[in-house]
Amino acid sequence: MPRPAYPETMPAQGAAASRRFSRWIPAIAAPIAIGVAVVLVPMQANAAVDLPDLTPEELLELAASSDVEALSGTVEQTSELGLPDLSGLTGGMGGASGGDDDEGSDAGASGADLDDLMSLVTGNHTAKVYVDGGDKRLQVLDRLGERDVYITDGGAWIWDSREQTATHVTVDRAALEALEAEAEAHADEARERLEAELDGPLPTPDEVLDEALAKLDESTEVSVGTDARVAGREVYELVLVPRDDDTLVGEVSVAIDGDTGVPLAASVTAAGADEPAFSVAFTDVSFAAPDASVFAFTPPEGAEVTEHEVPIPTVAELEQLKAEAETGVDAEGTPRPIVHGSGWSTVVELPAGRGPAGLDEGADAATGDPDAAEGLGDASAMLDSLAQRVDGGRLISTSLVTVLFTDDGRVLAGAVTPEHLLAVASSGR
Amino acid sequence: MPGETVEASAGSVATRDARTGGGTAWLLGSELLTLFRRRRTWAMLGALALIPILIAVAIIIAGPAPTGRGPAFLSEITNNGLFVGVTAILVAIPLFLPLTIGVVAGDTIAGEASHGTLRYLLIAPAGRIRLLLVKYAGAAAFCVAGTLTVVVVGTLVGWLLFPIGPVTLLSGATVSVGDALVRLLAIAAFVTVSLLGMSAIGLFLSTLTTVPVGAMAATAILAVVSQILDALPQLEWLHPWLFTHYWLGFADLLREPMVWDNFIDNAVLQAGYLVVFGALAIGRFLTKDVLS
Repeated sequence: MPRPAYPETMPAQGAAASRRFSRWIPAIAAPIAIGVAVVLVPMQANAAVDLPDLTPEELLELAASSDVEALSGTVEQTSELGLPDLSGLTGGMGGASGGDDDEGSDAGASGADLDDLMSLVTGNHTAKVYVDGGDKRLQVLDRLGERDVYITDGGAWIWDSREQTATHVTVDRAALEALEAEAEAHADEARERLEAELDGPLPTPDEVLDEALAKLDESTEVSVGTDARVAGREVYELVLVPRDDDTLVGEVSVAIDGDTGVPLAASVTAAGADEPAFSVAFTDVSFAAPDASVFAFTPPEGAEVTEHEVPIPTVAELEQLKAEAETGVDAEGTPRPIVHGSGWSTVVELPAGRGPAGLDEGADAATGDPDAAEGLGDASAMLDSLAQRVDGGRLISTSLVTVLFTDDGRVLAGAVTPEHLLAVASSGR
Repeated sequence: MPGETVEASAGSVATRDARTGGGTAWLLGSELLTLFRRRRTWAMLGALALIPILIAVAIIIAGPAPTGRGPAFLSEITNNGLFVGVTAILVAIPLFLPLTIGVVAGDTIAGEASHGTLRYLLIAPAGRIRLLLVKYAGAAAFCVAGTLTVVVVGTLVGWLLFPIGPVTLLSGATVSVGDALVRLLAIAAFVTVSLLGMSAIGLFLSTLTTVPVGAMAATAILAVVSQILDALPQLEWLHPWLFTHYWLGFADLLREPMVWDNFIDNAVLQAGYLVVFGALAIGRFLTKDVLS
């Protein structure tokens, strides 16, 4: 391109300056273009979602009538519970408990379980979900690692790539079927008896739903929020707001796919907070049946394989459990958890002599079981670093859950304010 | 102004050359020849090749690593030599690869300027933008070479010193050796793409100075700073924007089925860095007074 001949009168300095500026244009335009794209694309995706209006009842019916058999997608979980990130601390514990396997699998298991639990509660996770009828798979994508849960007809496989362990969980099918048959027989019997008592047929599912909603309405404000877009799909938002001042929960919101009725996202927001403390949402989802090969799992060579069969209680054992629950003491004589209050401000109390009590006097005194004590010793060291000293015990408070370890060995937990928990602890109600 | 004259002549040469064509290929060829003839380049590739060799030899001498200790995959090596390459790339990516890329990318323009050869390059048939593109292509070629060196040497050493067999993936599935080799190449591609954004930053920094060491150090330091920021949970909102954020995402290629989300996100992010810092480099280089 020939250069334009500048008029003699124009100062050369000015021309050079304008030419210089024009050469910076791409450098200025590129970030602006990217910035605009970053802002506009999500806006575009969220814009103009207008599904036909539904009442909460209709929305719940839509969700209940969902007949999606197969789906696959990516799920993101984020949590901001106000707890410090303990992955380093618990990771060290996991390594230690993995090292001394011979010390007793109980201790190793409780350390690893606690590790998993803490990492699930405090961290952010991405997972792939595959469902096809009875076959299900959850694939948790850890950085440089992976945890998998495969559920098929042959039982469930739990795989951990870091530990190279595979656990095969099976149930005794015959026992399960016997229990189911028994339960069905009982259900029929119960219905006949009820119908005889009510002098008419049982309420229809619709009526049951209405009644449940009416009951829910006493404790919770149920409404349908603004339509939105989750994983590129148009969703309804079901919003539950507790009518209770003692709870820390400010709002629970569930996004329900407007087309299929499948819940695509859920989040819990603490009272007074803007951002959810805990949320799970699909970032992409497809309702096509995933390839059958994703459900196949054979433990690889060299992995540590554990077989675990879940015992199915017989009807007689169930009756016994029920009786124990009523008396509050189980077969070994240890007291059962006590539930205080109802609804959103429910507080669960583990009486003294159960659970990781006695932070100060040491865990071994609490249970007398050396294996468990070792795992709990780790736990109590960790709890010590989290807990805050209050009158009459130690308190761990997060944005959603408060846990109190009293000095007399009780443990109280609930989604309630610390004040309420302390009041329950002192009054025993 | 001396700079103006060089600029003007470079511009006119570029327009003349655009008509003749073929100059870019020639320029790129000579750039690659210069780059890969340098003793420094070979020294850096040799250092990268040492990583898998050291890992393999250490394991031969010291015995297998216990599960869950040291870098991921390390404990797998004694079972399967193919993991030497994966472990080596995992060890190399936080520091050694960025260091070498920083040296090459930081040297692109500033190196020529410090040798006093930049003005001759611009007098020779090359426009400024074209020179930048060729220099960037050279840095990108080194990214490919560096990554492949680690992966290929790692695989060969593993093949020599350890048993080779079907590979257990992160998902617990087992794939054949052939499939595993393809996945190793895919990992090399992932890591190469991961380094392209950083190369663009190095190119831009290199246009700012005539002291190549400054640009090299700044580029390498930026990579480290970015990784530190990526490790701070308080800066979570910033993480997806850091060019090092997806560097360890190559593990997704070792899952079954393969997960491509990180690969795509990473490619988009690196393209963004390439566009922004490429444009900055062009803006700076076109307006720069080339005095040496």
